[in-house]
Amino acid sequence: MASLSSNEWKAVCAKFTNAQHLTDVESRNDPENDLFRSKYKARELLREIYCSLKNFEEGDGEEHDGGESSEPEPAEQPLDGGKEDSFSRGWSSDSRAGDRAAKLAAVDYYLGVNHVDTEELSAGQEHLMNCMKHLDKCRVSSENVSLFIHVRNQLGILWAGRDETEKAQGFLETAESIYKRYMKENGSPPTDMSEYFCSEENQLTHQERTKKFELAYTHTLYYLAQVYQYLGENERAANYCYSTLQRQLQLKQFNPMEWALNAATLSQYYITKGHYMEGRHCLAAATVVSGLAGEVPSEAAAQESEAESDRREQLRQKRSDIARCWIKYCLNLLRDAKKLLEDNIGELDTDRQDELRRARRREEEEEGRKQTLLFGSEDTFDSIASVEEKVSYLLPLDFTEARGIFLVGQNYVNQAKEYFQMDGYVTDHIEILQDHSALFQALAFFEEDVERRCKMHKRRVDMLEPICNDLNSQYYLLIRRQLMFELAETYNEMMDLKLTLANRQADSQSLDSHTIKKFNHLCSASAKYFQMFLDSLCSPEGKCPEHLEEDVLRPALVARFRVARLHGKLISSSPPVQLDNLNRSLENYKYVVQYCEAHPEAAAAAETELELSREMVGLLPLKINRLKARMAANN
Amino acid sequence: SLLCGSSDSDSIKVFIRVRPLTHGTGLTTDGDQNLCLTVTSPNTIRLLSKPEPRTFTYDHVADTDTSQDSVFNIVAKNIVESCMNGYNGTIFAYGQTGSGKTFTMLGPSELDNFTDEMRGVIPRSFEYLFFLINREVEKSTKSKSFLCKCSFIEIYNEQIYDLLDTASASLFLRENIKKGVFVEGAVEKFVSSAAEAYQVLSMGWRNRRVASTSMNRESSRSHAVFTMTLESKETKNEVVNIRTSQLNLVDLAGSERQRDTHTEGSRLKEASSINRSLMCLGQVIMALVDVSNGKNRHICYRDSKLTFLLRDSLGGNAKTYIIANVHPGSKCFGETLSTLHFAQRAKLIKNKAVINEDTQGNVR
Repeated sequence: MASLSSNEWKAVCAKFTNAQHLTDVESRNDPENDLFRSKYKARELLREIYCSLKNFEEGDGEEHDGGESSEPEPAEQPLDGGKEDSFSRGWSSDSRAGDRAAKLAAVDYYLGVNHVDTEELSAGQEHLMNCMKHLDKCRVSSENVSLFIHVRNQLGILWAGRDETEKAQGFLETAESIYKRYMKENGSPPTDMSEYFCSEENQLTHQERTKKFELAYTHTLYYLAQVYQYLGENERAANYCYSTLQRQLQLKQFNPMEWALNAATLSQYYITKGHYMEGRHCLAAATVVSGLAGEVPSEAAAQESEAESDRREQLRQKRSDIARCWIKYCLNLLRDAKKLLEDNIGELDTDRQDELRRARRREEEEEGRKQTLLFGSEDTFDSIASVEEKVSYLLPLDFTEARGIFLVGQNYVNQAKEYFQMDGYVTDHIEILQDHSALFQALAFFEEDVERRCKMHKRRVDMLEPICNDLNSQYYLLIRRQLMFELAETYNEMMDLKLTLANRQADSQSLDSHTIKKFNHLCSASAKYFQMFLDSLCSPEGKCPEHLEEDVLRPALVARFRVARLHGKLISSSPPVQLDNLNRSLENYKYVVQYCEAHPEAAAAAETELELSREMVGLLPLKINRLKARMAANN
Repeated sequence: SLLCGSSDSDSIKVFIRVRPLTHGTGLTTDGDQNLCLTVTSPNTIRLLSKPEPRTFTYDHVADTDTSQDSVFNIVAKNIVESCMNGYNGTIFAYGQTGSGKTFTMLGPSELDNFTDEMRGVIPRSFEYLFFLINREVEKSTKSKSFLCKCSFIEIYNEQIYDLLDTASASLFLRENIKKGVFVEGAVEKFVSSAAEAYQVLSMGWRNRRVASTSMNRESSRSHAVFTMTLESKETKNEVVNIRTSQLNLVDLAGSERQRDTHTEGSRLKEASSINRSLMCLGQVIMALVDVSNGKNRHICYRDSKLTFLLRDSLGGNAKTYIIANVHPGSKCFGETLSTLHFAQRAKLIKNKAVINEDTQGNVR
């Protein structure tokens, strides 16, 4: 029986080691004008290895594989699809033929990767498909399962690169199912294909084998996450992102800060879907794992060395980013609860509240509420659970519950602001303030005491007003627009609350002058900021745009409508002032009506406002005429 | 105050310029006589793709015989005028190496020849700016004065380098409530004429070369941003009115080098090392987080330095022109297609103000 002599085999192993070194190490130093020099050298070595193996096969009379070349080429089946029988059929790996087929498959695999790396995709594909063909003759076993997975990972990458995402999906899903079945039926640490070409004493330990194999499968999941994302299957993609993260954590293959940021980002996916339990879990894990990145270097240490300064910057920034993800968690939880609980005029609906309370109690009684996903390794599991306990994942149903969530959110606001200070991080700082304001706004909904609710809105004004006035209007136009609108709405809300209060107190008697003064102040402040917003849309010469852009269309119409309404509400005992206010009111109502007539597509953006404006354009002239008549009579 | 709202819905305009075929320049495109495109009107270009040719529409398409002067008139004149009125303006140059970016922006020899008919957009912009400044000053009978300063930085691998002070370490972007976004510690040179401005630019341009050889950074992979800050001061009835604006001239990295980030399509991000895979996983998740459902979310990954620095130039109150240079040779088909795609996407880039309006319960 012809076989490679031990010397020949040694030469093959040496070539392989050399090829690996060229590919992984030397290639990084290849010059820009000869980018693939080392890879081409590695390719030559791999080809020589292939020839040696082939020669050995051909010289081997006993197990001559006569069929290979005359076999009809199987119709190309790049979708892979199952290969369920690969566990039960084919050569066993301890047969000579099985061993040889796996080795040839491995060389084809390395050649395939080499060609893909050097941008020769079709040649790469051919080698990878040859690898598949060799493997088709083999039964899955611990000697070759790693290669079964790796070659499919590579084919997945290759087909995705050609925009044939379904083909990529087929290969990757097969890799996934092979891994699962292997782990179920065998599970022993498999041989890595790099071991095919190295001497006995250089074989990997069981631990190293497990690590390499698990890493390959982690990559399968990571590629599947991307494939599903491209296919628009977001939920599936998110699940695979989660699995990838979970495996990294379990297998201790992660950089703590990167991992934590990914988990925090994943939490944002869950909260935008309303899955707060999952969102909270991701965030708690992010907080715990970011702690594994170590202490923030002190300011003194940062001044000593640039490396420490960089580390300080990085850690502080990323932890603040995680805090900001927590803020969004609290904010969305409060807002979703508000949405569920409010009636058609935006007040707390107590019937709904009772109903939701009962539903929650029922759920709590039904045992078996389970965590749908769990992050953690042995070391982190308990700490993650204890971070989770600090905030509820349930939608708050009353003020006490809402306040609990608000306070957690506010705590993260303060944490995030420590790094994102106004001086240096204007945009980030303001975004955090906007969230803080939004937290107050959501909390105010749950507050039953009107006076205290008003104070919460006052806090919003206090935090946003000075900044709005200080910001450079040229560089921060868009942020200022948001601030102006929010301030206008906040004053508007406060004015409404004052009116509610006043109506309660003074059912029979007329309003006292102090209340009127206060009321008029809130009214004018609101109108002022709406007007500032509208002015920001005009040209430097003060000309209003003829066509409102889509992103400001509704806000601009709403602002006009509010300005009209606010002027109609201002209280004055002086008829000329009253007349003035009514005229301004009419003018703004008219604008809304006329704009929508000239731009019919705009009507849908502000339906209610348009309807009421039309009504007012009909009514106000009567009121104005009556006032004029009275003024004339008094003169 | 300066409430600059633009009623001009097209704040980003795109100009495509087709260079002539190359002969004997040593470029890989040399001697390629087959064309892959034709200019079909002043704003359309037809790419001879298979099976069907495709037509792309832009604000302007300039054929091979277009003069430097007319490029300046269409692209830069208006932007320079807006700068005088307090708007920020930006001109981006984009395209594959060898497609004529430098020629369009600087001119044939890159340097110094100030009267050359072939001089590019940048020297012409400087001339025009100072012409306008001098005219304003005269017209105002000295009640108006101007101050111009220039900075020139390079962004390579997400690090910022000062091209006017090559000895400095990498710099940071910061924000100030009054000044907006700025590069902390970047050298600013005062200039009082077009010639001086051009000198500063040339110096930086030379430094870019020096840096690319000595520090192993490649100019085709870096973005260079030249910023001229214009401050006008007007005294009227003892009231001093100051306003500032910026003119940014940006040379984007060669488009063929951006494959990693821009024109990737559905290519999978590979995980050759686990650390890299972690970074990319974040990008996958980012793509899943839906922005359109009105939920409020925070994404931990920062903007690129260039986007952040020029945020004010994309939409809002700025005037922006993108000059995309393409080579007509059939060998460049792939690059040209991706440049045309980029230019089309660029028109869609826009900063928007999302107004958080509480729609419920407001109409009472």
